[in-house]
Amino acid sequence: MTKEITREVDGQEAETGPERGDRWERVIGPIGATFLAVVLIVAGELLVANGVLNEIIVPRPTHVLSALVSTLSEGFFYTHLWVTTSEVLIGFVLGTLIGFSVGAALGISRRARAIAYPYIVAFQGLPKVVLAPLFITIFGFGIESKVVMAIAISFFPVLINTMAGLTGVDPQARRLMRSLSASDWHVFTKLSLPSSLPLIFAGVKTGLTLALVGAIVGEFVGAERGLGYLLDVYSYQLEVPRVWAITGILAAMGVILFLVIEWVDRKVVFWQSRRDMSATM
Amino acid sequence: MTGPIASTSGVSEAGDGQGAARPMISTRDLSKSYETAGGEIHALDRIAIDVAPGEIVALLGPSGCGKSTLLEILAGLIRKSSGEVEINGGPPRPRPEVGIMFQQALLFPWRTVAANVLLPAELIDGRGQDWRERAESLLAMVGLSGWADKYHWELSGGMQQRVALARVLLLDPDILLLDEPFGALDEMTRESLDVEMMRIAAEASKTVVLVTHNVYEATLMADRIFVFTARPGRIAGVVEVERPQPRGIEFSTTPEFSEKVAQVRSLLSSGGEG
Repeated sequence: MTKEITREVDGQEAETGPERGDRWERVIGPIGATFLAVVLIVAGELLVANGVLNEIIVPRPTHVLSALVSTLSEGFFYTHLWVTTSEVLIGFVLGTLIGFSVGAALGISRRARAIAYPYIVAFQGLPKVVLAPLFITIFGFGIESKVVMAIAISFFPVLINTMAGLTGVDPQARRLMRSLSASDWHVFTKLSLPSSLPLIFAGVKTGLTLALVGAIVGEFVGAERGLGYLLDVYSYQLEVPRVWAITGILAAMGVILFLVIEWVDRKVVFWQSRRDMSATM
Repeated sequence: MTGPIASTSGVSEAGDGQGAARPMISTRDLSKSYETAGGEIHALDRIAIDVAPGEIVALLGPSGCGKSTLLEILAGLIRKSSGEVEINGGPPRPRPEVGIMFQQALLFPWRTVAANVLLPAELIDGRGQDWRERAESLLAMVGLSGWADKYHWELSGGMQQRVALARVLLLDPDILLLDEPFGALDEMTRESLDVEMMRIAAEASKTVVLVTHNVYEATLMADRIFVFTARPGRIAGVVEVERPQPRGIEFSTTPEFSEKVAQVRSLLSSGGEG
């Protein structure tokens, strides 16, 4: 996200020098974003207080804030938070492992690819959320059905990207490895796998975001615990400020998960970001 | 330093015992054709080449003349269609005594400069670190001492090819197969690397086969230049350059050089018409 913004600003500021552009951006970014948040909150508060927006539909920001505080101070909230977090993490880890293993098998074997191709196309076209009722029926209302949902929705980008990475290895580099009498195993571990890592990690990042979607959708369809379940209950009880508060918590959860995986990505695929940097220098 | 390889290079002692006069590389009636959707393509047609130990030869010709195909057959990367090929007394196959260098440096971005140089040893005996000292002395030889722990994005194109040169020299191959190794570099960088390559080849008396489409590069470096015609690749003629090795860049300003360039050019154009 920040990378794109940097590029835009660099482009606009090119004539005044990139250094000045960077400094300007570093200052204006946080200040501007905070300012915008304040404007939106104050505007929301005023519009609802003056009756322009109905409070049943859009709650006052101050009410959302107090709902957030009271939600966070209630013990049962953490039960739900823990359930959803477990669903997301277990689903994400298993989904990533399955996606990587199947993707690697398909990336290595042309025959396996030929056999699996129609299934891949079919699964790619399928809106995965429609599987939620099916999984509830099969795996019940507990955590299992949500984990399976998170797996089903998150493994696919990992699979596709692993396969694409392994089949897209530079043929010249393969030729070099063959000229050095490299075994198939060495070609895989020393060339194919590392050169696929940037693409694999892009898939893993998408998979993590989708795992959260999968778990929440599963909870919407049928659950007894979890933040999606809580959201459903508050919505049904017309506790609108709490609905907004939970939504905000879920957004924060998504952001935290993404930041963590971004950090891991930069550490593991360190050469990728460095290459980008030297390309823009 | 060649200790770990000695066991695998027994091939050089085998053979028919013709002694020192036996060529390092030898092809007879070597042909290569590809089956494509549009029919059969003759890439190489009855190629006969002998390369003596320590000799530098150039394979020169227009693109599509099959010179790179010939090099890949010599390297054991693709199969011949018919004819005979012998490398160091044996059939062509990838092995430590034969080093091949490509137009791209092909450095792995996740490896440091030193780790890239060590790659061939790692693939052979799995213990790349034993070669660390040799890798560093090779890096010093190609003018990159102090760069061992850098990554390739910190290096210019010419420096990357120097790393690739150090990598190909790690296992101390007797034969160097060079597929336009400096073709992607600017003229001045290429010339300085050409001169360095000649010096290294002469010092360690390596046999070198250089594929190039650059008449000046071929004339500067090669003891003999095999001029190829385009499709099917045939040898139009051979130009000998008697100037002793290693040569410096000043050779390119001599009348002898111009004369050889002219000879090569006339062979190239006659081949083009035929």
